[in-house]
Formats: sequence, structure tokens, C-alpha cells
Amino acid sequence: MNSPIKTPVKPLKNCGKCGLCLGACPVYKVLKEEQASPRARLQLIKAYENQTLESSVLLKELISKCLMCGSCAKACPSGINHYEKFMEMRENMVKDLGETPVIKSLIFLLARESRIRMGAGIARLGQKLTPAFLANKYCIGNIPLKQFSPLNPIPFRKTVATRIPAAGEKKGSLVYFTGCATNVLYEDTGISTIGVLTHLGYEVIIPKSQTCCGIPLMFHGAGDQAMENMMTNIAALGSYECDGIIVDCTTCGAALKDEYPALIEKQIKKSMANKDSLKSAPHPSHPSWDTLAARAQKIAEKTMDILSFIAAHKQDLVFDKTYPKLCNVAYHAPCHSRNSFNSLPLVQMLLKDLPFIEYTPTPDEAECCGGGGTFFYEHPKTAKKIMDKKKAHVKGVQAKYWLTDCPVCRINLAGNLDSTNALEDIRVFHPITLIHNALKKDVLKNKGHQ
Amino acid sequence: MTHDSAPHKIPDPAPGHTSEYLQGPIPDPIKGLLIDIVTKDRYLDRQEELACYAYDSFWEEAMPDAVIFPETAAEVSRILKIASLHKIPVTGRGAGTSLCSASVPLRHGIVLCFSKMDKIIEINTRDRYIIVEPGVINADVQKALAPFGFFYPPDPGSMNISTIGGNIAQNAGGPRCLKYGVTMDYVLGMEVVLATGEIVTFGSRNVKDVTGYKLSSLFCGSEGTLGLVTQAILKVVPRPETAKTLMVTFKDLDDTANAVSDIIGSGILPAAMELMDKFTLNAIEDSFGLGLDREAEGSLLIEIDGIKEACEREMAKIIQKLKDNNAVHIQESANDADRERLWTARRSAYGVFAKLAPDIVSEDVTVPVSKVPEMTRRIKRIAKSYGLTVGVLAHAGDGNMHPMIPADRSNTEEWARVEKAFDQIFEAAADLGGTLSGEHGIGQAKARYLPLVMNQDSINLMTRIKQAIDPDNILNPGKFV
Repeated sequence: MNSPIKTPVKPLKNCGKCGLCLGACPVYKVLKEEQASPRARLQLIKAYENQTLESSVLLKELISKCLMCGSCAKACPSGINHYEKFMEMRENMVKDLGETPVIKSLIFLLARESRIRMGAGIARLGQKLTPAFLANKYCIGNIPLKQFSPLNPIPFRKTVATRIPAAGEKKGSLVYFTGCATNVLYEDTGISTIGVLTHLGYEVIIPKSQTCCGIPLMFHGAGDQAMENMMTNIAALGSYECDGIIVDCTTCGAALKDEYPALIEKQIKKSMANKDSLKSAPHPSHPSWDTLAARAQKIAEKTMDILSFIAAHKQDLVFDKTYPKLCNVAYHAPCHSRNSFNSLPLVQMLLKDLPFIEYTPTPDEAECCGGGGTFFYEHPKTAKKIMDKKKAHVKGVQAKYWLTDCPVCRINLAGNLDSTNALEDIRVFHPITLIHNALKKDVLKNKGHQ
Repeated sequence: MTHDSAPHKIPDPAPGHTSEYLQGPIPDPIKGLLIDIVTKDRYLDRQEELACYAYDSFWEEAMPDAVIFPETAAEVSRILKIASLHKIPVTGRGAGTSLCSASVPLRHGIVLCFSKMDKIIEINTRDRYIIVEPGVINADVQKALAPFGFFYPPDPGSMNISTIGGNIAQNAGGPRCLKYGVTMDYVLGMEVVLATGEIVTFGSRNVKDVTGYKLSSLFCGSEGTLGLVTQAILKVVPRPETAKTLMVTFKDLDDTANAVSDIIGSGILPAAMELMDKFTLNAIEDSFGLGLDREAEGSLLIEIDGIKEACEREMAKIIQKLKDNNAVHIQESANDADRERLWTARRSAYGVFAKLAPDIVSEDVTVPVSKVPEMTRRIKRIAKSYGLTVGVLAHAGDGNMHPMIPADRSNTEEWARVEKAFDQIFEAAADLGGTLSGEHGIGQAKARYLPLVMNQDSINLMTRIKQAIDPDNILNPGKFV
């Protein structure tokens, strides 16, 4: 339900078990099993909290067989915030049972910027060294190794200045939160985001100390590490005067906009329960809780996803009239774009209005692709079932381009297309890349795409 | 998983039956036989998984001992043969959206979940039918028919997720059933597996069919107590050329209800006529900010459909009747987006109430249309006398009322008042020539009210039918029969 008025989140006991969330859940829709539904997860959490059900490997698996797309919370008539309940439960499960080695190392990597860089470096080396016959044979989750994008040769943020001046007259300044994916994997998105924003007359500021938003850590119950990343980012983003904070990934955006304030509020409630002073700080080197809350709120209010921003400024884009028209362009709306930013109608309008694109909507463009953070890795069979439905539709409209504004969706969409099959020779980009390419003059060198 | 305390006493099962049920977990040799039928993948019996099949949209909960996902009628037959032999209760389940605990395994045993039996077997718009498996979702039937310009009229509030099998078991209705009729009116034929494992079929692909008893009428609304549907032939109808929607407000709730019976009495049959009282309207406005009139004591959402010219003529007549009954604002939807906006308001009513309190008690007593004004007054009076808040919402055109009382079950004092209020609401409905349930069903909770609307001989007849078809009482035991 798309309510313009925010109603306060309701406690778990308000779940009336009506089942409307089943119809919104991408996992339930392909598996048709109640135990894979948001309603069941809430019931299991209730039973766990009432101590009628103990932690178990199976309970953890049932809780984690979820894309964390937030569609259930959006459909819930009772105002339950499934998302937060699931996150809390995931943390409890990890506390009770621990985490698998692969996920543990992911958390280890994402918790420190230096480790992300190191990890990417090793992976790059790995990609170069993997013999072709192995790459053809092996899969990560449901995606064949050979269909993974090559990593950026140098992390994106290292290749750009902290402040990039506006092209022409300066209208304002925007802080750009690049996220890990643009930094290590999809530099084309980063280049284009800067290109379009400067074209529109904005100075772009890229704080060098920013790090992983922490969402993957929260999903895997690593609350403390997520908190650390949040502190780093609040400090990094809050230290610049700006007119807005731009994200090119709406999952990172959801962290800045929704999760940081919620995480701090939860901590404050805990502190209040323990009668700690709000003037105290989480750590001697950090600001106090109430200062943090104010800063997080400011960041949340300023956070915008790049496509909504472009949609609001599309009249100022100047296109190269000689740019060839691109036909059969389909769009995939990432769950967080729909559920956290409500950007789908804006993006649809934007795509319709772009003069160089013939936008061909697929009937299920707003359905989840099954990527879901590490879901495609942890539940490859289910992810494949979800993806196969989407693939059939995009082939049905004979798409040549498939645009999406989430890097995990992009990995998953591109990874499941077999480029050796003519019908599946569909190129997957962030929409910003096509917009940037069609602009009248390039502000930055265009590195092209893979 | 706790077994929540029942709001009403569960009626005693037929004598001599319960004690004979197999108690506790399914013994390994029987489990082995069941797994042989469906393979391990479609057999669940670990506590964490069973807990997910202990509930539906009603408040009552009970744990099954096993959950099985059949994929063919033959599998269902083999499972039921084993269940009959060992006296294991079997409860059918689709998407688990029953509002009367129809899919809750009150006597434990096996839950047969049909959600994976979800194929559309044939669409034939020339002969106007569709053949489906029971797990097909109502909305997917609509989606499949849309390209042909056809639709399947029954539209329960849960249509985006509830299955045809469940719709048949509960004889589901919905707003547009005023004009088009309920599930039973659209079931041409079905394949059913009986408790003994026999696979029977009745009805046909023909709208006209008087070959023997019309058994599909008996199985529609039998709440899984007589047999389990494994295939259904449904009648489909062409989509009307136009649809128009009116949102009307009144200063007086009586005027609102009178307008409904006046319009129906004048010979016009709108597709839907939804009544909302002031409390409901304001609750919706609080959540959605649609610009509805907060001062209105009553409002109607009226939809008419059909051929364009006929719609226009009917609309003029309806507007006249509304004016005669002192309507304050009459607003016609200008386009589809506008129409959708008005229906969003109506469809969100349940959700809006769900936000008001942990539990929402929504029954569906039904009275003759001319008694809607009186029933509305009585509901308000009864709720007030017990110090409860009530929102009245009704598919008013067919007298199907939805009094909704927000409450908290953990507050035992308040819950006792809610129960007493509903006792009186059911009595009032019976008193006005109405009935207990228009579309939700009886299940376990309303069984004790049956004597209000049926004499003992009639109740005994239902028991005899049940005993004849399911002699061991293994199908959905603990419910109304």
C-alpha cells in the first residue's frame, strides 16, 4: 500500500496474519511454501521471543531465506516493520549459532575500507589467474563465474578528486556516496554520475573517508561492525556543506535514509533503559548519542537517489541530437528503489521522456530479481527460479538494454544472461550511464563499458 | 507454539471419534509410506516448519504433525487412504487466508497444502470456462483471462493471494458478487478426493447441467469437511465495456443505508455498493489523506458496469435516488486512476483498522438489504453498550455487513466484552431474518451460533451428510460439523 502519510511502526502482536505479505514476497511467489513467507517469519520470531521455539540451524535458515527487499513491510496493512524485525532476528541467530565461514569473511572484508580494497585486489588477481575452463564450469551462487563483471582496475574513488567542479555556472554542491560496488566493480556508474551531475551545474564532493554503508553487515547480524561503519560514514558525509547527498545504489541509500536514524534511535532507547546519559558517547572518540542522532537525521533528509534527482532536473539536461536512438530498452526496478525511495513512477516518466531511448516496459519490471545482497549466493536454486521468470519477460519484449539502478541487481541480471545466446545478448547498465553517454558534451572522459 | 485459548468453546466432536485419532507424531512406518508417495521434498515434519502451518488469518492456532504438498489427485488419494486407515485427521490448506480457522488443524494430524498444485489446465473463452488446479491464485486466474477480455467474478479481499481451492471450500464472495454472484455460481464442475481416497467428479463444462445431484453446490462452502478439490471447472464472463464509480457522502447513516435499499429496490443492480460509516471513513482519511469528507456520517462507494449507454442511464437513476435520500456530495470518478484511488480507500479499510489495535474482530453477518439500516443501528447500539469502538463497513447492496471491532486479546476483560457484543450482533442478525456469515464461513468459532438460524433437524441433516461421506471424521475435524 502506498501511503503518503507515515504511520508509526506497530509491534509484532499487531500482525493479524492476514497474508497480504505473501502476495508481495518474491520468495513465496516462486516457492509457494508458507515457511518461506514473511508471515511465517514473523510467527517464528514470535515463537522464538515467547521461548516456545529455540534457535536451530533450520530456524536460522528459514529466517535467512529472505531477500530483505522490504516489499512485505510496504504491503502490510497493520504497519509491521518486517524489515527491522528480520534484521534483529538475524542478529539473534548469528549470536546464538554463528555464521558460515564465507559470510564471516565477507563481514570481515566489508568492516574496514582497507580490507575491501585488499579483497578487491586479491579478487582481481584471482580473475586474471582463473583458467578459462574453470571459469566456464564454476558458479558463485546461481551465476557462472565467467559471467561476472571484471573488477575496476583501480578503486574508483582513488581515480577522482575529492571536489570536482561544476561544468559552467555552479548551482550548488552535492556529496556523492559511491558505495562499494561503484568503487570496486562498476566505475562506469561512478564516472557517469559525476558526468551528469557536473553537466547539471553541480560541484560533486566525494569524501575519501567514506566506507561500506553497513547494510550487508546488518543483514548478517553483524550489528557492531555495522555501527562502526555508520560512525565512519556519518563523520565523512557530515563534514561537508552541501545541497544533497547522492547515492547511485538505493540499498546504500536506504542505509543513509532509514537505517542509520533507526539504529541510533534503538541505541538511545537502550541507553535510556540503562539510565545512561545521552550526552555520553558510544566510544570516547565518537560524538555523543544525541549529536549523532542529529547528524544522522540531517544526512537522512539530504539523501536522494540519483534517478529521482535526475528526474527532478531533467529539463536541464542537454542531449547530443546526433546520438543514435536506442531501441528496446527495458528497466528493472530494484526493491529498495521501489520500497525505500518510491522512485518507480518517477523513473518510468524519466525513461519515457528521454528523447534517445525507446523505453519498452516489461510486465514485471517492478518484481524482485532474486539477487538480494548475498541471497543469490546462499539460496541459488530459489534465486534462479525468481530470475528465470524475469528473464522470460525481458526476452519476450526483445530487449537490447536492461537498465537497473542497483549493483547487486546488475550483477544478478547480467550474470544470468548468456551472452553467447543471441536472444540473451542484452546489455545491463545503470540508467545514468546511458544518460551520460547521450549528453551534448562529455565533461569527463568516457571510459565506455564492458 | 502455544495453542491460544479459544474465544468460544470448541464444539464437542461427533461422539466416539476423537479418542480414536492417532495421537502425537506420525509413526515412522506411516511416515515412510507417505514419503514414498510425495518424496522427502514435499513432506515436512520438523517443529520449525510445522509452526508455519499452525495458523491462518483467524486467531485460533493448532500445530499439525506433518505437512504434505501433493501435486496430483492420485497422490491425494493415496495419502487419504493411509489417513483413513490410521485415523489421522487431514486439513486442507491453500494460502491460509481463512477468516474462520478453516485451514487450522484443530485436531492436529496432516495439513495437505495445495499451494504447489497451481497449474491452469485449460482456458476456453469460446465455451466460457477455465479449468484449474486448486492451488491457482485467484488473481492469477484474472491475469490469465485478461488478454481474452474475460474475467472470473468472485473477488474476495484476499484475491491477490488466496487460492481457488480455498475460495471453493469457503464459497468466497467479495464486493462485486452483488451483481455477479459468489463462487458457487461459477463452479461448473469439479474433481474431488473423498476421505476414503475415492476420486469423484461431478458437473461438466456446461452451464446447463441437471444430470444428477448438483454436488458442486454441496462441496462449495463445505470448508474441507467433505472432500478435497483437486481440479475445478470455472465459468468465466466477458469483461464489461465500461465501469463507473461514485463516491457519495451523507449527513445521516440511516439515509446512507436507505439509499442502498432504495437503489436496489428500483431494479438497478450495481456491480458493488460499499457502505462505510464515519469512524471507518475517518480512520482511512487518517492513514491515506485522500480528501474524504470527515464530517460525513455515512458514505457509499457505488460501481456500475456494462454497456456505456446503459451505464449512463443507470447512473442518472442512481443519482436521483441518492438525492432523494439527502446525499451531500456525489463525486463521479473521472478516469481509471481516480476510480483506483476510491477503491484503494475502500480496500484499505481492513488494514486501517488493523493498525488501531493488536486484534481486529471482523465478522460478516448478513441481512436482507431492506434491513441494512436497522442492522447498522443495532450494531452501533450493541457496541456502545459494551463500551467498544465499532466501525461499520458493508457490502451493503447484498446486506453483507462487516462490523469491525478493534481489540486486544491479551486484555481478557475487554475480550469478554467483545465476545458478548458479538453474541448479540449474531442474535440481532438472526432476529432480522439474516444469517451468520455471508462470505467468511463458520469454522469452529461460529459453530455454537448455528441454532440461531437452523433448527436441530437441519443441523442433524448436515451431520448425517458428513457421516455418510466421511465416516471416520478425518477431514477437518473440530469445525462446524
